[in-house]
Amino acid sequence: MKHIDILIIDDEIKFADMLGRRLSLRGITCHACYDGQSGLEWIKTHPGAVTLILLDLKLPDIYGTQVLETIKEIDPAVPVFIITGHGTREDETACLAMGASEFIHKPVNIEKLTTLLNRPRGEGT
Amino acid sequence: MNRQPLIIRKQGWLEFLFHRPNVHLASFQTISNYPRIWIISIMILAVTSLAPLVFTTVINHQLIQKSVDSELVLQTDRVTSNAKRSMRFFLEERLNALQFVVNELPYYSLIDNEHLDKILSNLKLGFGGFTDLSIIDEDGSQIAYAGPFNLEGKNYKNQSWFIQSIEKDNFISEVFTGYRDIPHIIIAVRSETAYGRHFLLRATLDTQRLMSMLNSYKTNVHTDIFLINRTGVLQTPSTTYGKIFTPAPLKVPPYSDTTHVIRPEHPGKNGFIMGYSYIATEAVTTPFILMVHKKKSDVMGTWLNLGKTFNWIIGVCCLVMMVIITLVSTFMVNQLYLADQAKAETMLKMEQSQQLACIGQLSAGIAHEINNPLALINETAGYLKDLYQYPDEHRSDQETSELLDDILEAVSRCGTITSQLLGFVRQFDVQISSVNVEKLITGILSFHKKETEYKGIHVTTAISPNVPAIKTDRGKLQQILLNLINNAFQAIEANGCLDIKVSYLPPNKVSIEISDTGCGIPEENLKRIHEPFFSTKKDKMGTGLGLSITYGLVKKLQGTVRVESSEGIGTIFTVTLPVRNRKEGNA
Repeated sequence: MKHIDILIIDDEIKFADMLGRRLSLRGITCHACYDGQSGLEWIKTHPGAVTLILLDLKLPDIYGTQVLETIKEIDPAVPVFIITGHGTREDETACLAMGASEFIHKPVNIEKLTTLLNRPRGEGT
Repeated sequence: MNRQPLIIRKQGWLEFLFHRPNVHLASFQTISNYPRIWIISIMILAVTSLAPLVFTTVINHQLIQKSVDSELVLQTDRVTSNAKRSMRFFLEERLNALQFVVNELPYYSLIDNEHLDKILSNLKLGFGGFTDLSIIDEDGSQIAYAGPFNLEGKNYKNQSWFIQSIEKDNFISEVFTGYRDIPHIIIAVRSETAYGRHFLLRATLDTQRLMSMLNSYKTNVHTDIFLINRTGVLQTPSTTYGKIFTPAPLKVPPYSDTTHVIRPEHPGKNGFIMGYSYIATEAVTTPFILMVHKKKSDVMGTWLNLGKTFNWIIGVCCLVMMVIITLVSTFMVNQLYLADQAKAETMLKMEQSQQLACIGQLSAGIAHEINNPLALINETAGYLKDLYQYPDEHRSDQETSELLDDILEAVSRCGTITSQLLGFVRQFDVQISSVNVEKLITGILSFHKKETEYKGIHVTTAISPNVPAIKTDRGKLQQILLNLINNAFQAIEANGCLDIKVSYLPPNKVSIEISDTGCGIPEENLKRIHEPFFSTKKDKMGTGLGLSITYGLVKKLQGTVRVESSEGIGTIFTVTLPVRNRKEGNA
């Protein structure tokens, strides 16, 4: 199995940590950032370091869609999963149109998420 | 949430008069007092359409009256003049005939009875109207006589007519009965004998002939022609004023050479006009005044009847117009009422659906709020389970305890939110209750907590300590504040400010001021924001009903809304509410 490195951008610190720990148990390396700005900084400073990004929509500084846009500008190839507790249908449509690979509602089923993360890229969503 | 079943539409003609007032609809109706509008409309229509008609009728009536009056005056004047001329001619002719006799014949032939008889019969033949002739010497004794009465040897020395006539060349007496007991007039001419002694040629004139001559001028039964003397005693019988020789109940008109027409000062139902003329011949003045009396009402009968018919027609017209006006007004006001009612019903429906939408919005917000702690619980509990599923992982009791604490904390966060939601929704059903404005505002703001955090909105609430709890419909007040605060949040850009100020205005008012530093409302829109369906957020799916419904709700709570705004600086909405809601407070 290919090693997977992911970045979690979510303002709920405890949630991000817990998710990180659980995914680590499942063999996925996780990095976490707690707002949009630091997330983008991390991506810029670690080009090609992650295979996937988990992104929350409601962030304290920049709205998730904007972060998504910037990520796609920096590295259009990296898959982004939106993971949110606030998502509306409009948000979902907008995010998928902007290149997000998945739109996942909180709370997350860890097994489903792991399966999604392990799915070979390039097959589409 | 559905408080009031909507009115079932009956299209009655007088629905606006007999409708049952509905408190919920009333606040959305443009006009509240339809019966008053109805009466005013009937009155205005009646006055504007009937007044010219009545005015024209009155003017017309007066004009007819005037023209008939002047026609009558003209007619009377003409009759009087003609009768006077004939009367004068009648007297002059006879006086001249006598003059001719005295001048032409010598005294001795005059005192011959046979000759005098002949003269009398000639005069009767030539002129008519003579009854007898006599010659009287200056002592008053009758020298000769020709006629039907046996008056020879009579002495007139003491008779007033004799005394008057012996002084003048010509004389015409009043009508009197004298010795013969028959009304007659005396005309006399004075002459001299060869010895210079005066004598009189006296003739008696038949009044019958004079009367028939005057009567020939009567054009109709409503005209009365008669003579009076200068003291007002009737000289001929009058159909109006009575028998001959009785004093007529008339003021003797002032002397004048010409014909005059007088109108009585108080024309009543028996109105009349009077023409008069003093009779005078060239040679002598007479004691007669010719009077022509014309009854107005009878002469004007035709005109008056025409007027009456006209009045009837106008009356019927007015009645028909009043009926039409009433029907049209009733129809129009009823249509207006029905349209207004339909509008009010739509607004009420909209209010109810907006209330539902409001709750929907709330629920969505709360679901999102709950999702975060739920996700945390999910992950933490999942991790705890993982610890047992992956036995290689090190696990300590302290960590487990901490993780369980996290779960419990998240659960209590959820609990707070759900209890808030329950409390909030329950409040929508309550009608009148004591409301603590501070708590209400805090509650509403708690749903916007996340948004304020994300957008960095600075929210301040300043509530004076003396603000009393107000008795009002909590659900409605909640909806009002939710709408206004939602609007403010939509208007505010990142790092803006929202200030809520609540103050007490003694004795019975509380004002809630919601000011934001948003985009503001342009001057031209400010007047229209409370109109239904007015929206500047059309592209963002605004219905344009929010503020309109807010205004309606405030009106229902007997409060007022004031809005001040400057573009680019911000907007202040001030809601003023009574502490005790009068109408509903009693219910």
